[in-house]
Amino acid sequence: MKEFLKVKKIDLSYDKNRILRGLNLVVDEGHFVAITGASGSGKTSLLRVICGLESPKSGEIILDNSTLFNKDISIPTEKRNIGLVIQEKVLFPHLNTKENIEFGISSNKNKNLLSSEIMKRLNIQSLANKYPHELSGGESQRVALGRSIVMKPKLLMMDEPFTGLDKKLKVKIYPEIQSILNDSKITALMVTHDLNEVKALADKCFNLESGKLTEL
Amino acid sequence: MGFSENFYHLYENLLFKYSLNSIYLVLGVSFLVTILGVSTAWLVTFFNFYGKKFFQWALILPLAVPPYLLAYVFTEFFDYSGTANNILRSLLNAESNVIFFPNIRTIFGAITVFSFTLYPYVYMVSRVALMNIPASVIEASLLLGKNSISTFFNLSIPLIRPAIVAGLALVAMETLADFGAVQHFAIPTFTTGIFRTWTGLYDLTTALQLSTMLLLVIFIFLTLERQSRSKIRYVNSSTTHNSYKPIQLTNFKNVAAFFICFIPVFIGFFLPVFELIHWSSQVDTLISSKTVTAASNTLIISLSAAMLTCLVALLINFIIRSFGITQLLNDLLSIGYAVPGLILAVGITKMFTSIDGWLINFDIFITGSILGLILAYIVKSYAISNNVINSAFTSIPLALDESAHTLGASKIKLLKNIHFPLLKTGLLTAFLLVIAELIKELPATLILRPFNFDTLSVSVYLLASEERMFEAAFPSLVIIAFGLIPIYFLDKIILSNNK
Repeated sequence: MKEFLKVKKIDLSYDKNRILRGLNLVVDEGHFVAITGASGSGKTSLLRVICGLESPKSGEIILDNSTLFNKDISIPTEKRNIGLVIQEKVLFPHLNTKENIEFGISSNKNKNLLSSEIMKRLNIQSLANKYPHELSGGESQRVALGRSIVMKPKLLMMDEPFTGLDKKLKVKIYPEIQSILNDSKITALMVTHDLNEVKALADKCFNLESGKLTEL
Repeated sequence: MGFSENFYHLYENLLFKYSLNSIYLVLGVSFLVTILGVSTAWLVTFFNFYGKKFFQWALILPLAVPPYLLAYVFTEFFDYSGTANNILRSLLNAESNVIFFPNIRTIFGAITVFSFTLYPYVYMVSRVALMNIPASVIEASLLLGKNSISTFFNLSIPLIRPAIVAGLALVAMETLADFGAVQHFAIPTFTTGIFRTWTGLYDLTTALQLSTMLLLVIFIFLTLERQSRSKIRYVNSSTTHNSYKPIQLTNFKNVAAFFICFIPVFIGFFLPVFELIHWSSQVDTLISSKTVTAASNTLIISLSAAMLTCLVALLINFIIRSFGITQLLNDLLSIGYAVPGLILAVGITKMFTSIDGWLINFDIFITGSILGLILAYIVKSYAISNNVINSAFTSIPLALDESAHTLGASKIKLLKNIHFPLLKTGLLTAFLLVIAELIKELPATLILRPFNFDTLSVSVYLLASEERMFEAAFPSLVIIAFGLIPIYFLDKIILSNNK
């Protein structure tokens, strides 16, 4: 199996607080990896470093044989082709569901087809004309997921994406997501504190403690 | 009240011109202030570049310069023998009859003057709105492959559109209400038309009819501004709010950002200030007795009116709070800020002449007294003081009032011992803001001032209309200096919004 994402010796500090200490991580192509850890252990920071929203002090990040970050290079977030779905509601409030999903593919001629396809897969076609404030928590998360997946990202990262959803909905969503990721051959990295989620979705799981990862 | 012969004359010959010029002005100014206000707000909010800390507050400085002052400065500066042509002639070794700049006394000149003095309205509301966009929303756009510029056009602008419209409505109202700048540039608009009808044709009725037409247009903008303001809330849809970490600009982008912010501050503030200082140095007697009298008149009338306005706002807000009366009263009284000073003057004169018809039995006349001017100032500035005092009142928990009452305090005691000490900062801020607004007020003052009672703005206007620009320079600088006081507070308000 090809080593798709390689994170090497990443160091990240906020002021004098060292969050990540020489952290290493390898994710194989097409795999679903989960990261758990206590609150404030740096899980979210790790995802933000990988997608370029935070700049580490040192280290190297390679995705699909392309260097995203090292001491000389820092590819901007918008050029990394990494999707990130977070727990917070970050749908654009002035756009409806369809427009939100098409935001990242606005220059694609087939955007209509692509958005319809993804809405169908996520079972949110009926929400196409609804605005974010008209959506429930579960619906918002599906739209956010659809918006990231429609971009066909090389890597999809999810930060506590199912927090706040009820158990029934979660059980329904897990296989849907797995099937979409498998079909699209998207490698995924998820941060969660819910071990049920890990069991249901992940091929591999790491625990983040004291700025370093250990495989569980 | 029917339509007079004068009205039909205006209707047939001038009304179309007034309307067209007013429309051109509003459209041109709106276009330019949007570019100036939104681009600078975007730069100082989302990027770090050379001079950013200075520009964050300096971009508001042109608010201290009333449009009529910049109009006077522009006229002289770009004149055949003005500083601009002289500098270029000496730099390029050109003949003395060479003119580099076109005549500034045109509608395009007026658009430039209004834009560079009024863009801070759009800058301020845009900046606050941009700061209120959660970082996660901007980051989501970057993660979806959009770069900073694309995010600005596709996400930031649509999100802050209500704020931009609110700022533009204020700019449009100020442009339509202006008298000094358009009069100096000899551009026939509604306000100059009203002034001429009244003071030239001595026809108060037709002036009132014209005022009503302009007022209708102003109310459309006022409604637009209020509606847009109420929609601004929908930007904050995120559950948590963290400010976006600004990106450091380097090389060419750093220089470009510096100049994009420098140009409006330079043209709107430093150019008029430097030019006025230069003119002041050309006068033998810098501080004449007339200027001292005008300055003391300005201070006395502004301080009295500001004190009364704040007192009225304090009492009305206290009554609304204590007796549970609807805020509608405040809303109604606040409409006054949108009424052009000239129309206010026409209305007050009409009202006072009617009252005088009754008071004549007691040998008392109020038309032409200081009362009219003070009333106009209170009506004009109530909204400003109310905004500050109302929000200061809202920040006092109602539980405090209830506790005071259970401890036996009367309503008067509650106001004196609890509310007043807690409202001190708010009252002082409102007081300063009102003073700064009143010091530069021209049209209402020009018409309603008692005989031989000149203020700084009136002195400057009268000197400028006689082309005595050098003598007008020092009082103009004093107006700008007074206008700088609220800038400090406005910046603090924006920063506290950010926090």
